[in-house]
Amino acid sequence: MPAANKSTGKREVAKWYPSSQEDPEPKKVRKSIRPTKLRPSLKPGAVLIILAGRFRGKRVVYLKPLSGGVLLVTGPFKINGVPLRRVNARYVIATSTVVDLTDVNVDKFDDKYFAREKEAKKSKEEKLFKGDKVTKKPTPEVRKADQKEVDAALLKNIKNVRHLPDYIASSFSLSKGDRPHLMQF
Amino acid sequence: MSCEVKTSQWRLVEVGRIVLINDGPSKGKTAVIVEIIDHKRVLIDSPDASVPRQSFPLAHVSLTSIVLKSLPRGARTGVVAKFWEKEGIAEKWEKSALAKRIASSEKRWALNDFDRFKVMVLKKQRRYEVKKALAKTAKASA
Amino acid sequence: MPESNHRLYVKARHLSYQRGKRNTNPNTSLVQIEGVASPNEATFYCGKRVAFVYRAKSEKQGSKIRVIWGKVTRPHGNSGIVRAKFRKNLPPASFGATLRVMLYPSNV
Repeated sequence: MPAANKSTGKREVAKWYPSSQEDPEPKKVRKSIRPTKLRPSLKPGAVLIILAGRFRGKRVVYLKPLSGGVLLVTGPFKINGVPLRRVNARYVIATSTVVDLTDVNVDKFDDKYFAREKEAKKSKEEKLFKGDKVTKKPTPEVRKADQKEVDAALLKNIKNVRHLPDYIASSFSLSKGDRPHLMQF
Repeated sequence: MSCEVKTSQWRLVEVGRIVLINDGPSKGKTAVIVEIIDHKRVLIDSPDASVPRQSFPLAHVSLTSIVLKSLPRGARTGVVAKFWEKEGIAEKWEKSALAKRIASSEKRWALNDFDRFKVMVLKKQRRYEVKKALAKTAKASA
Repeated sequence: MPESNHRLYVKARHLSYQRGKRNTNPNTSLVQIEGVASPNEATFYCGKRVAFVYRAKSEKQGSKIRVIWGKVTRPHGNSGIVRAKFRKNLPPASFGATLRVMLYPSNV
């Protein structure tokens, strides 16, 4: 609305006409972020078959769910070489075999534990000339110790069941005549 | 010139032949032929209501080795039940090789991943023993 | 380890494109998965990733092997055939070729 400025006496004209509605309230987001619901076949302790990636075909033990459909698993490392690791639930077949998880303490493992250490920023020149040389980092001693600690308790439980260590050591694969859509896992 | 004529050893479509049903709602159950309708269809019946009396295409049926020889043609359910009981067809079927094979294959399909692994281990052990025994006899005979 | 010993995919065959009597629709391919004989069984594979792996003359990223990825979308017909869509349509030359149907994303 044009109104006279008291100090100058001039009429001031507003830059814009007021919109017909006063400041419409922004729409409220009614979607809530729900925690991922895992398949019922994924019970902690279950033996899983990893379907893709470096450890494809390996049978591993499922320890606990992490956030967003990610699972914490371990080989155990001593049996099949799979370390404590995160895997996506969609890249895994859950078998009906369940390993006893008593005395296995996995409280300290969360997403933060597995977060990558940030590398110091390189200058542009360095990047240009040195390239991204992949240097193999040695496994941190902390990880090694944690692996040992978790595996020690787990191994004891696995060894109690006949054939179970051999089963976990073996890897899964399809051969002629195998019908995964008819198989029970 | 003379020639000997023997009856064939085939399983025939005949009244009293026990059949295994391979398709339809009664799939996997056994019934008996009570009447032959034509070259493609038969009338089947069973002692209980598991397979209702019906005309059934022979294409969806397997002939078993068991025959109820004495069954009269066109027998009704009550009579079928009597003969079935008398001849002990249920037990005969259970003992037949076909029934055993079906049961074992069903069991195999129901195995879980760990069970399949155990079967593999046992098979390996059996193979090892067989080979060992074979090598022994081969050595003895040589 | 020989390849046959660690196969983690189901073999499938690229049959054709989705088509009518006179028109073809190369957006969608028809795929026959080994051992699948009914639409009911085929539903297991819905959403699974499919790969067409082939060899080309020239190297790209240091390899002569190339892949076209796709997804199983739905069953097709009554004999266990499925429809699949690929990021780039499969070439007609791949009719009859073997595809790999992966076991992921998994529902079991």
